[in-house]
Amino acid sequence: MNYAMALDYQNCINCKACEVACKEQNGVQLGADKQRIWVSTYENSIFGNPFVAFHPSQCNHCIDAPCVSVCPTGASYFAEGGLVMADKDKCILCKGCMEACPYDARFVDDKYVAVDKCTFCYDTRITKGETTTACQATCPTKVRLFGDLDDEKGELVQLLKKRKFFVLKENEGTVPKLFYLFPERDTGFAENSIGKETTIHTWESYKPVIDRAIAKRRKS
Amino acid sequence: MKKYEIAGIEINAVSISELLFNKTMLLAYFLLALGFYGVWEVFAERYFLLTANAFDAGLNPGSTEVAEAMKEAVFGAGGEVKREQPWTLYIVNYMYMIYSGSAIIFFVALSEIFNVKLIQKTAAGFITFGLAMVFGGLFTIAVDLNILHMHWMFLTPNIRAGMWLMLPLYTVYIPFVLFEIYLLITNRHDWAKKVAYGILLLSIVIDLIEYYIQAKLFNMNTARHLWTTYPMLTLYFIVSAFVAAIAIMILYSYFTHRRSLGDDFHALITFLRKSSLYVIALLAMYEASAYLFIDKEWGAIILFGEYKIYFYAYLFLAVGLPFILEFKEHSNNLWIILGSLSVIVGTYLGRYIFVYGGNAYPMSNRFGMGFEKYGEYEQAKEFIFFSPHSSEILVVVGSLGVVLAVYKILDTLFSVSKIREH
Repeated sequence: MNYAMALDYQNCINCKACEVACKEQNGVQLGADKQRIWVSTYENSIFGNPFVAFHPSQCNHCIDAPCVSVCPTGASYFAEGGLVMADKDKCILCKGCMEACPYDARFVDDKYVAVDKCTFCYDTRITKGETTTACQATCPTKVRLFGDLDDEKGELVQLLKKRKFFVLKENEGTVPKLFYLFPERDTGFAENSIGKETTIHTWESYKPVIDRAIAKRRKS
Repeated sequence: MKKYEIAGIEINAVSISELLFNKTMLLAYFLLALGFYGVWEVFAERYFLLTANAFDAGLNPGSTEVAEAMKEAVFGAGGEVKREQPWTLYIVNYMYMIYSGSAIIFFVALSEIFNVKLIQKTAAGFITFGLAMVFGGLFTIAVDLNILHMHWMFLTPNIRAGMWLMLPLYTVYIPFVLFEIYLLITNRHDWAKKVAYGILLLSIVIDLIEYYIQAKLFNMNTARHLWTTYPMLTLYFIVSAFVAAIAIMILYSYFTHRRSLGDDFHALITFLRKSSLYVIALLAMYEASAYLFIDKEWGAIILFGEYKIYFYAYLFLAVGLPFILEFKEHSNNLWIILGSLSVIVGTYLGRYIFVYGGNAYPMSNRFGMGFEKYGEYEQAKEFIFFSPHSSEILVVVGSLGVVLAVYKILDTLFSVSKIREH
């Protein structure tokens, strides 16, 4: 299994229901900057036309996760399905993982004096038979889709085969598994609302990247 | 002075008051008291801050503690670690103390191999001071880490992580240095002749491994391009540590050997001054070329952005000013002392820029369109700059107390600063 998530980010209306659901489901510390998931807003204008883009995000559960390799105690580890997990009991608060993560996806949970991050609700929902994460289940505009990349017939892979997508900070070489779906309409606007250096992928172009990263991890 | 002998080591028979209540120890206690106040502040913030999650709010609807915790969550500035800047003054001080301390030991080992008589004569004192600095660095990092979970370093080690590699390194390194000190204070000439070369070579190898691991520790943070694009990080750590170490050795010699070393004192200072000039020149060459290789985003912030004052102050204090002050031989040591003080401040500033600079470019530009806000009530940041928290500064002050206390106790018991034979 290889858990991942697709995000139809242009559907996001910034209602923050996902953030609330995540905190409620997973017992995340209360506090505005204590987030496992978040929606960031970006405002700008193109030829005088103002626009606002909402960017929902969370841990990318990278296949080549630098946060796992820097952790001295194995508190950051790959769990079933390639999920990047943080074991609070083993965390010595060296903060190496926070430094290593290019996505700023980790924070210190002051209640447990340990680093915390998104788990794709693995321990609170997926192992209990649910097939969705809390953020996916609560989203009114169906931004997120959680699934298994190894399941070729699954909804996630089928979607990725159908739609173009991009990943964040691809040049960091982390092989992230949050797939941002490139809009099908108004593509000119969409291209302008993401960074110029962002590569737009198809399933055929990204699948070999995933396979190579998994092979590398198995070797090590 | 009356001495006891245990396992060949002569121990000065000093009273408890001579050992623990001399002037140096009183100063150390003062610094330690400030340090432990800082530790108390850190621990109060870390372990006793009122926090709550959604479960607490649901299970204890009327609790005033939960209400206070929720108020803290929204309006408070609690929690010592910020997501945008995980490594702070603790790492700066840890790096400075450990690198400079081990560089002193490295330099003494090198001098032993090259038969530099002046350093051989004073080796025990220098190495002991270097080791005391290593303990000062370890004290700082011990405050930074969650000590209650440290046993996992042994139970589930990740042996490829730079952070973990520090553990076996220090468990080998510290006894090794203690053994070197043991050989020096027991005047084992025969041993020193037969084994010392091997020991000293091993000491250098261990030092080199230490610098390599420390470089690896920073290099593994692939998202921080200041650290990963810095060319030859191991070499940089060695050179900059040597610059600081020799300045510290000059100051140490001034306070310790000024009167006791007689004519050799001037020769020692001259040797250290000349050595200092070489390593300062090396550091200048490194800094002049290193920024050609550094990621442009980080380079821009440090060379032309918000860090430029600190960077140029670092170059002026660690390279420019001491080079001018120490270039010519003076009859008065004041210029060399001033130069050394300038190097110590400057190289500390250099470490500060290195650690804080690594965090300077926010990770929050995830979509390549601009920086996102860290907190709901914050502005988006184009660069990150935090001033150290007062408790961090106090812990750093406390680490100076650790250095003084460790050194002074060893010196009072074994007279390491007075050993002249080799």
